[in-house]
Amino acid sequence: MSARPNSKRRNAVQSAVLPLAFGAVLVTAWQTGLLHKLLNTDEYVLPYPTRILTIIGENSDKIMENVWASLEVALLGLVFGSILGYLIAVFAAAFTKIGSGSLTIISSFNAIPIVALAPVIINWTKDVSPEAEVRSTVAKVVIVTIVCMASMSVNAYRGLTELPAFSQDLMKTYGAGRITEFAKLRLPNSVPYIFTALRVSVPVSIISALVSEYFAEYVIGVGRQIRENILIAQYSTAWAYIIVACVIGIAMYVLLIAAEALVLKKRR
Amino acid sequence: MLETTENRNVEIMLDNVGMTYDAADGKKVQALTNVTMDIHKGEFISLLGPSGCGKTTLLRIIADLLQPTSGKVLVSGDSPREARLKRKYAMVFQSATLYDWRTVIKNVELPLEITHESKSERRQRAIKMLDLVGLSEFSDHYPRQLSGGMQQRVGIARALMLQPEILLMDEPFSALDEFTREKLHVDLLKIWRKTNKTIIFVTHNISESVFLSDKVCVLSPHPGRLSAVIDIDLPRPRHMEIRDTPEFTALVSKVRNSFEGV
Repeated sequence: MSARPNSKRRNAVQSAVLPLAFGAVLVTAWQTGLLHKLLNTDEYVLPYPTRILTIIGENSDKIMENVWASLEVALLGLVFGSILGYLIAVFAAAFTKIGSGSLTIISSFNAIPIVALAPVIINWTKDVSPEAEVRSTVAKVVIVTIVCMASMSVNAYRGLTELPAFSQDLMKTYGAGRITEFAKLRLPNSVPYIFTALRVSVPVSIISALVSEYFAEYVIGVGRQIRENILIAQYSTAWAYIIVACVIGIAMYVLLIAAEALVLKKRR
Repeated sequence: MLETTENRNVEIMLDNVGMTYDAADGKKVQALTNVTMDIHKGEFISLLGPSGCGKTTLLRIIADLLQPTSGKVLVSGDSPREARLKRKYAMVFQSATLYDWRTVIKNVELPLEITHESKSERRQRAIKMLDLVGLSEFSDHYPRQLSGGMQQRVGIARALMLQPEILLMDEPFSALDEFTREKLHVDLLKIWRKTNKTIIFVTHNISESVFLSDKVCVLSPHPGRLSAVIDIDLPRPRHMEIRDTPEFTALVSKVRNSFEGV
C-alpha cells in the first residue's frame, strides 16, 4: 500500500521534469539563434523569445481583449457542446436500437475539418443578428459546439452503457425502475468517461475557436490576430499571439487535469 | 404436488422448470430440463454442478432475472416477478458488484435509497449490517481499499439491508483464496443463523456445498438437470474442523458419486 503513493509521486516528477527540460533546451536554442540556423530562417520570421515577450508586455490590453473573445467562444462552445453531447448520449442509451446508429453519424462529425465546417456555419448564421460581432460570435460558438458535442456523446454513451458486471442485475433485484437505475448507476458510472471526453474536447475547443475566427466576419480573437498579423508581415506580433494561444491551451488543460484528479480521486 | 402446496413451510416451489436457448447456429440448447423441487423456509440449499449444468440459470430464473421457457416457479404463492417487486430477494454475485464511487457504508445504504427510506434509518441499518459482517471500522473506506473477501462481505451486508426472506448467492466466494473462503463459510453460517434467511447458494465446489448446506442439489449437464438431492445431516453449528471428520468425507464422496455424465 505504501509503495503506491511513492511511485505515483515519482511518476509525476518524471512526467514534469522531462517536458520542462525539453522546453528549456528549446528556448535556449531559440534565444541563442541556434534554432534559426537549424531551421534555416531569420529572426524576422522567427523573432527571439525576449522580443516576443516585450511585445506581449507592450500590447497586453489589446491581447487580453482578444484572449477574452477567444475564451468566450471556446468555453461557451465547450459547455453547450458537452451538454448537448451528453443529452444525445442519454437519449442513445435509453433507446439503444436507434441510438447507437445515430451516434455513429454524430461521431463522424469529428472527421469534418473545421476549415470545411466554418464557412457553412457562418453562412447559416448570417441572419441571426444585425450586428456583425454578435453574428460572428454565434457562428464561432456553433462551430465549437458541434466539434465538442461529438466527442462527448461518444464517450458519455460508453459511460452510460458499459456497466460493471452484474450491476444492472443488482438494480433489478431491488426492483429499481429505469430512472433510479439511471440516477444511481448509469450517471455516476459515466463520470470518468466525461473526463475522457473533455481531455479531447478542451484542447479541440480552443483550436476550433481560433480557426473559426479566421473565417468570421467580425475581426477579433487570438486566432484571427495571428492571421491578420502574418498577412501584414508583423511576425513578432503574430508570434506574440501564438505564444498566448499556447498558454491558453496549456492552462485550460492543466485546469481540467486538476479538476479530474479532484473529482476522481476517490475512485482510483 | 398437492402435498407440497399444502405444506406451509415450502417457500419456493419449482415445477418442471426448463430453459431452452436458441444457439447462434439455429439449434436449440437445453440449459435446464424438468427441474422440480421444493425449498423450505429457512433452509440452506446449494445448487452444485460443473459449468454448463444450468445452476446459475436456475438461480436467475428464481430471481426473475431470466424467464423460464417451460414450467412454473412460485415463491410463497407469488410469481418470481411479484416476489422480486415485493423485495423478497437479495442477491450476492460472483463479484461483489460494489459501486466504486461510493464508500462502503454508502454502498450498503444503496438498497434503502432505492426504497426511499429516511437518511437516519438508512444509516442506522447500514451500521448494524456492517457490524454483522464485521466491517464497522471500514465504513468510510472505498471499495478499492478492501480485499476481495472484505468486498464480498460488504456485498452480503448490502444484500441483508432490505431484510429479504431469500438470499440468492451466485458463486459468491469462487474468486477468493482458500483461506478467505473457509473463513467466510463460517461467517456466512453465523449470519444465516442470526437472520433466519432461506439461502440458495450456487457453487461448483463440492466440499463448500457440503459444509454449508442442509441440502445439496446436484445438477448435471447436457442437458442441465437435477440429478440428485442429498441431505446433509451434519450437526450445527458447524466449525471448520468438521471437514476433517469421516462423516464429512463420506458425504463429499456421496455427492461426488451422484454426478451423471461429467
